[in-house]
Amino acid sequence: MSATCEYQAKDYKSDLKPIWCPGCGDFSVVQGIYRALAAIGRPPHEIAFVSGIGCSSRIPGYTTAYGFNSVHGRSLPIAQGIKLANPDLLVLAAGGDGDGFSIGGGHIAHLIRRNMDITYIVMDNQIYGLTKGQLSPTSQKGRTTCTSRYGSLEEPVNPLLYVLAYGAGFVAQASPTDLAGMAATIEEAIRYPGFAFVNIQSPCVTYGEEAQQIKGLKAISENLTALGHNPADRLAAMDLAQHYGQKLHLGVFYRNPEPAPTYDGLVRERQALLSKDAPPAENILDLFIKK
Amino acid sequence: MTTRGIDYASLSLKDALDLAVLIEEEAQERYEDFAAQMEQHRTPEAATFFRLMAQNEAKHGEELAARRSSLFGTEPKAVTREMIYDIEAPDFDAARAFMSPRQAMKAALASEVKAHAFFVAALPALKDAGVKALFEELRDEEVHHTNLVTAELAKLPPDSGLSDEDFVDEPAAQ
Repeated sequence: MSATCEYQAKDYKSDLKPIWCPGCGDFSVVQGIYRALAAIGRPPHEIAFVSGIGCSSRIPGYTTAYGFNSVHGRSLPIAQGIKLANPDLLVLAAGGDGDGFSIGGGHIAHLIRRNMDITYIVMDNQIYGLTKGQLSPTSQKGRTTCTSRYGSLEEPVNPLLYVLAYGAGFVAQASPTDLAGMAATIEEAIRYPGFAFVNIQSPCVTYGEEAQQIKGLKAISENLTALGHNPADRLAAMDLAQHYGQKLHLGVFYRNPEPAPTYDGLVRERQALLSKDAPPAENILDLFIKK
Repeated sequence: MTTRGIDYASLSLKDALDLAVLIEEEAQERYEDFAAQMEQHRTPEAATFFRLMAQNEAKHGEELAARRSSLFGTEPKAVTREMIYDIEAPDFDAARAFMSPRQAMKAALASEVKAHAFFVAALPALKDAGVKALFEELRDEEVHHTNLVTAELAKLPPDSGLSDEDFVDEPAAQ
């Protein structure tokens, strides 16, 4: 037991008051992020936090990190640009299930195959809350909303299987039902050297269904460590991930025991290699002049 | 309600007092956050109540901090806020827009009960007699607080019978 942390959770909390609905799961998610960042110990000015659009995408503003509440579904391309421009930054991306798996769904695959050292936190509430309760990509089949008056006919996207299938090196799930576990999971994701994905089941108190509130989530929660799951076993992780929507497995589904090189790391290497033969900066335009 | 990295068997009186201060500090902040949320969502009665609770927690925290200071001066702390999770602070999902004073008090009552349960659960693991006495004192204080809130609750008129759903806009087709 020691108090060696240079930074405390409160150092990452901004003066801006969240305008989420009282009781929203995102209040606990931001607390989990503060605590994870305190454990990591990077100063706020070395952290870039990018989000898309939606209730949960307000989250960067509630931290003292550099924040960018960007364009709907585009948090990941922007986060990648930031990481490439300044690889020394700790880059976090966040958003909701609609932002990540509908509007921005096409970007995840490319971030995963590049394996950039970015942590992506999705606050999955199975609904578009900000726009007053429309069907989202993770809404359960049969769900009645204002855009599915007679019940949804679609199967939901399974975010865990989605990222596992594309080959993400770190995949985890957390929930406000276990605050300590959530903070620890986010911390572990940030520490992973490569793309890390954390799906957080964060209840919408206004448009969410009863079963998706804290009490309902607690009833279906199972801790992966307690289940004896080996996070190095990708196939076992995929097997467990299939229960998304029926069970709430908390913890690390998959952590690649031999993390692949990151794209940002490879770019650095390439730059170092090419810079040896690069012309001096004052002659750079010569490259474009035919001789 | 949980803790991380605290070994109760080796907890010293200094650590225990620091822990108690942190527990009050966490609760105070949560009540302040709740009050701000209520003000933002036009729920002034609940906001006033949560502010009052924040003041109470601050007062208890100051008393404990003064005790710690008189016994141990400025000796460095070995416990941090990162080690405690919602011991006496109401759960994040306990707040609701348009909650009545009765609902706000019930949220506070649940927190006092939760804090009592924490001290009761920790007691068997404690070895130090001074720490044990402190935890017993804090446990008994929680009983006192629970009784106070229960008495205040009894004075309130019954709720309107409206639910949260009555205050939510009907979903509108876009």
